Amino acid sequence: MPEVCDTALEVRDLTRTFGVRKALDRVSFDLPRGAFLSIFGPNGAGKTTMVKVLTTLTSPSSGTAKVCGLDVVQDAVELRERIGLISHNPLLYPDLSAEENLLFFAEMYGVDDSADRVRELLVSVELDHRRLDLVRTFSRGMLQRLSIARALLHRPDVLFLDEPYSGLDPHAMDIFDSLIAQIREDHTFVMISHDLDKGLELCSHALILARGRVVLAAERAAVDSEQFKHTYRATVGLGVA
Amino acid sequence: MSAAAVQQRRAGRGLSWRQFKAILRKDIVMELRTKEMVTSMGIYAMLTLVIYQVALSQSGAAFDPRRIAAGLLWLAFVFTSMLGLNRSFVHEKDQGCLEALLLSPVDRPVIFLAKAIGNLLFLLIVEIIMIPFFSFLFLQQGSYQGEFWMIPLSLLGGSIGIAGVGTMLATMSVNTKGKDFVLAVLFIPLMYPLLLACVSATTAGVLGGDGHIQQFWTGMAAIGAYDAIMIAAAWALYEFILGA
Repeated sequence: MPEVCDTALEVRDLTRTFGVRKALDRVSFDLPRGAFLSIFGPNGAGKTTMVKVLTTLTSPSSGTAKVCGLDVVQDAVELRERIGLISHNPLLYPDLSAEENLLFFAEMYGVDDSADRVRELLVSVELDHRRLDLVRTFSRGMLQRLSIARALLHRPDVLFLDEPYSGLDPHAMDIFDSLIAQIREDHTFVMISHDLDKGLELCSHALILARGRVVLAAERAAVDSEQFKHTYRATVGLGVA
Repeated sequence: MSAAAVQQRRAGRGLSWRQFKAILRKDIVMELRTKEMVTSMGIYAMLTLVIYQVALSQSGAAFDPRRIAAGLLWLAFVFTSMLGLNRSFVHEKDQGCLEALLLSPVDRPVIFLAKAIGNLLFLLIVEIIMIPFFSFLFLQQGSYQGEFWMIPLSLLGGSIGIAGVGTMLATMSVNTKGKDFVLAVLFIPLMYPLLLACVSATTAGVLGGDGHIQQFWTGMAAIGAYDAIMIAAAWALYEFILGA
């Protein structure tokens, strides 16, 4: 059984450079287990880079980051067993069926009861009637629901959501919301969003990034929505010196 | 938990073997479904051989095309394999699948091994199509004095190196803008020693003659050494290449 951790994320002086450009510049924050963190910021703020570092897809240039107590560099392989990613990209093979995709990823994660787990997840995302259809025939909303099933296959502790509402119609957004609500209790969430209202509605913690730096990090309860939006707009409009 | 403990736990579950089989099976299923790689490589290889045959058709009776046939076979095969290797990672780039693969708890060399063996299988299928066609175009005139078994054996040895090194280079080039060009620029110089050995071994099989047995086995020894060294290097470097 994976060890239970009280702190889901511990980020200290995290810096990631690409050439001379600093995508992340000494970012530090903590996130307790079970929290829902929404990360806001203009394009190029470093949000996606931060998620890539936290999900081990990119190495930090300096500083440290731990997810569930596991270092993103030293413990990368074990860490990958504890996290899931739902992106605006479905991360699914278009020429495999829904069931084949999930079975493939179940094997990659070493899920023991893979056939049962896949069936259970296909039912929960309401795609069991399309399980044999190729993923390339799916609508955007269906792809996103299947993407949730893929991310939950191995029962991760922390779920990263990279602009998950991008391209979804209102109905698909409602279905996505209800699926997230069903698993809200058991997971820690880190979501990148451009939608301030949606991000603030869902989160327990909020963070604004600009030019790779943390402009604001606070618990949702301590933040006034209008003040937060004002700070965000000022950040987007003026940047950070 | 220490890295050694993680490795021990994963080994106990046979996870790497399951992952290897899953990636290989997925690549085969997708190829059977789309037929993108084998069809395009097979047709390209045959068209290239036809063009060589046409180009040499007016060279006169004094010129025996068999003297350069092994080189032509390898030219066609190298260009064909570059076409296929470029496509082998296209599926992984679609809809961010490579990212999903890298997010899973898989040791990167397992991905390399599965992709390389998948590529080798597809190259071997193309060879099965190519060899009879090559034989029909280039080995039918006059009396054939070579040893035919040497041709597929040298192709097999060369294919192992091409699949191993090519998989590594295709991974490097897949995120670049001009990936076809980048792959060619990296592939040809790295393949040079292998190509020399392969052409030598195949020529022994096509022409026969004095000392052809020794020439063949010398070529095969060089192919074996190249395959072992380059695949070991690709295996060791793969994690770094994927992380770069």
